[in-house]
Amino acid sequence: MPLTLSQANTLIVDDFQSMRTMLRDFVKSMGMTRVDTACHGKDAISHLAERRYDIVLCDYNLGPGANGQQVLEEARARNLIGVSTIWVIVTAEKTSDMVMAAAEIKPDDYLLKPINQMLLQSRLEKLIVRKQSLGLVETAIRAKDFGAALAQCNLLLRMQSANPHEVLRIKSDLLLTLGDFEAARALYASVLEQRSVAWAKTGLGQVLFYTGDHAGAITLFEQVLAENQMYIEAADWLAKTLEAMGDTVRAQQVLQEAIKLSPHSPLRQKKLGDAALKNGELDVAQAAFEKTIKIGEFSTHKNPAVYARLAELLVDKGEAQEALNVIKRSKADFRYNSPAALQTAASEARIYQKMGEPDKAQAALACAEQLATQLGDKLSPDLMVDLARAQLKLGHKEKACQLLGQVVKNDHENAQLSSEIASIFDEEHLAGEGQALIKASRDEVININNQGVVLAKRGEFEQGALLLREAVKKLPSSEVMLVNLCGLLIAQMTKSGYSDALAHEARELLDRVRTLNPGNKKFYSYSLVLARLQRA
Amino acid sequence: MSMEEISFTDLMASSIHDMKNSVNVQVHELETIASGAKARGDLEAFNSLVLVIAQAHRVNANLIQLLSLYKFGKSTYPLDIREQSVAELIAEAVMQQRAVLDFKGIAVDVDCAHDCYWYFDRDLMTGVLLNALNNACHYTQDKIRIAAQVQDNTLVLRVEDNGPGYPAHILHSDGVLLSKGVNFASGSTGLGFYFSAQAAQLHQNNGRVGTLTVANGGAFGGGCFVVTLP
Repeated sequence: MPLTLSQANTLIVDDFQSMRTMLRDFVKSMGMTRVDTACHGKDAISHLAERRYDIVLCDYNLGPGANGQQVLEEARARNLIGVSTIWVIVTAEKTSDMVMAAAEIKPDDYLLKPINQMLLQSRLEKLIVRKQSLGLVETAIRAKDFGAALAQCNLLLRMQSANPHEVLRIKSDLLLTLGDFEAARALYASVLEQRSVAWAKTGLGQVLFYTGDHAGAITLFEQVLAENQMYIEAADWLAKTLEAMGDTVRAQQVLQEAIKLSPHSPLRQKKLGDAALKNGELDVAQAAFEKTIKIGEFSTHKNPAVYARLAELLVDKGEAQEALNVIKRSKADFRYNSPAALQTAASEARIYQKMGEPDKAQAALACAEQLATQLGDKLSPDLMVDLARAQLKLGHKEKACQLLGQVVKNDHENAQLSSEIASIFDEEHLAGEGQALIKASRDEVININNQGVVLAKRGEFEQGALLLREAVKKLPSSEVMLVNLCGLLIAQMTKSGYSDALAHEARELLDRVRTLNPGNKKFYSYSLVLARLQRA
Repeated sequence: MSMEEISFTDLMASSIHDMKNSVNVQVHELETIASGAKARGDLEAFNSLVLVIAQAHRVNANLIQLLSLYKFGKSTYPLDIREQSVAELIAEAVMQQRAVLDFKGIAVDVDCAHDCYWYFDRDLMTGVLLNALNNACHYTQDKIRIAAQVQDNTLVLRVEDNGPGYPAHILHSDGVLLSKGVNFASGSTGLGFYFSAQAAQLHQNNGRVGTLTVANGGAFGGGCFVVTLP
């Protein structure tokens, strides 16, 4: 049922009592009766956790603690607000984050102070209409049903019921997500024919990036920045592309420039730290990681890997005591989070080993290994690498090889990952053993895959599927295995007819593929084939 | 940080920011007092407060323009040009000026198609329109017309009034604005025009650049403030 202002549950968040009163008076004279107020981020989150709100009016500057943008991010990340919730940020000044950030973290609108009641009411009424017209698209996107979202966009474009520019922009994002790069390319080109629009040019750059034309992508991202240097998303993509080309020095420069203009993104600060670390610029990396921790304090982007990296680089700089302090802080900050505790313990083990305290190092490693056992299936490849690095440093070569072999097998075509793993062995002067392990692990996967292909060619899809199912059990995040198993299931259904069970299995595989790599090329075509098989 | 490292313009910018916050608090307090007066039926107090509030809004608008110009200069303004409704832009600007327009008994006539969409930065163009409306309010007898339409792939936005029109010393023969510096006697600084011209210029498309011109004439024969956006 469409929302009306008088029925809305509304939350007002502002640190000034007088502003809260004013906003409450405004919305009450619009006929709203269910109005709550909160005076800071924590207060807002506890209100949001208790009750579903239709409208949130949130000041940007909320005093010490989280700002309005961070409260929004936390509310979205924790699912405290629904697709239909209207979130408006009230601010003295617009920032590039408010207008140019990715859709998941952008407010529905922002209002510049001083605001008056008529303007607020007019904006809210328009936002309600907008939510209604885009509601089905957003719902489908949240449910990760991108095909349905795309169909809904096409419908809206045909009916011309919403701002066409906005729908095109959402549609282009969906095409990128689905990996339909040719359609995305055509859409961006048609927008760019009219004029140079930053989002379309950046999108076209992403298409070039995903299709392997890194040089072309770089040209486009640089053009966007030359036209509007505040379009920071283009800088992030430029850095990412440079990194993919191995030019970490320029990637670092680009990130440093972007951070001067938009210093409050913990993710960007972390990327700068990583790039600087690769370039051996320890001071830059240290400053970036420290900043990441500081601005991420009230953010959903708080990340234990940053603490670990900072601690280890401090050891390398000879500041052991500082390093241990960072570890201590990480332990306190991530008390109830086992993956984070594992990362911290693995890092602690490496640090004590470097400091020449093997007993303490062994104790920390034992703690990390215990956490890994507890995590079981949930042990991610990143955590495996972290743990293995500690094991290798402390001389547990066999254990480390077992873990790293599995990491390679899970993603055997990923050259960047393989070279990262090779450099871990390098560091411990075990380069030869590292190369051998990587090769053996890759070969093992390729062999299974080849057997599957042979069976498929012979039309023995069931046997092929049996083989790959076993492989997928052992290598749950191998994109190639998941895709190939899915292909076999589709072939089996094409041959012997649609089966609910097989289609369900295939869809689950595709969902895992998409989580691993949103740009997977088979995702879109297999999704379409599945839909067609179901209809037939 | 040594004194030399703080540039005067940076100091100005941070002070403007601070002043803007103060003005916001003032506006808000004044509005509370005004609505109290209205509720009590004290129309005399209410009417004088409307004008005081309008002046506070003018100060705020000027500060925003100064801050924006500072950011234009440093290329740090988060310019966000997207296709959006022109009719909504105009409606919102009129809404923000409503109290003063009603108080002065000025009728506003809007001539813009409902489905007129164009590419612009919403906040900049709101500032430009508010500035034009403010001027028009000052000089008009009782009528203002806002017209917008797309011609030759360009949006033409006109604000016209039925006042005496711009004096000759402001107008160039070709309608381009004369830069006349600060006139302390008339209280006119040229800030609004300068800001509007700069904001228009930030709107570019394939080598074409937005413009601001002023002229006399239009539907009512008074002042015309014309912005074009490619």
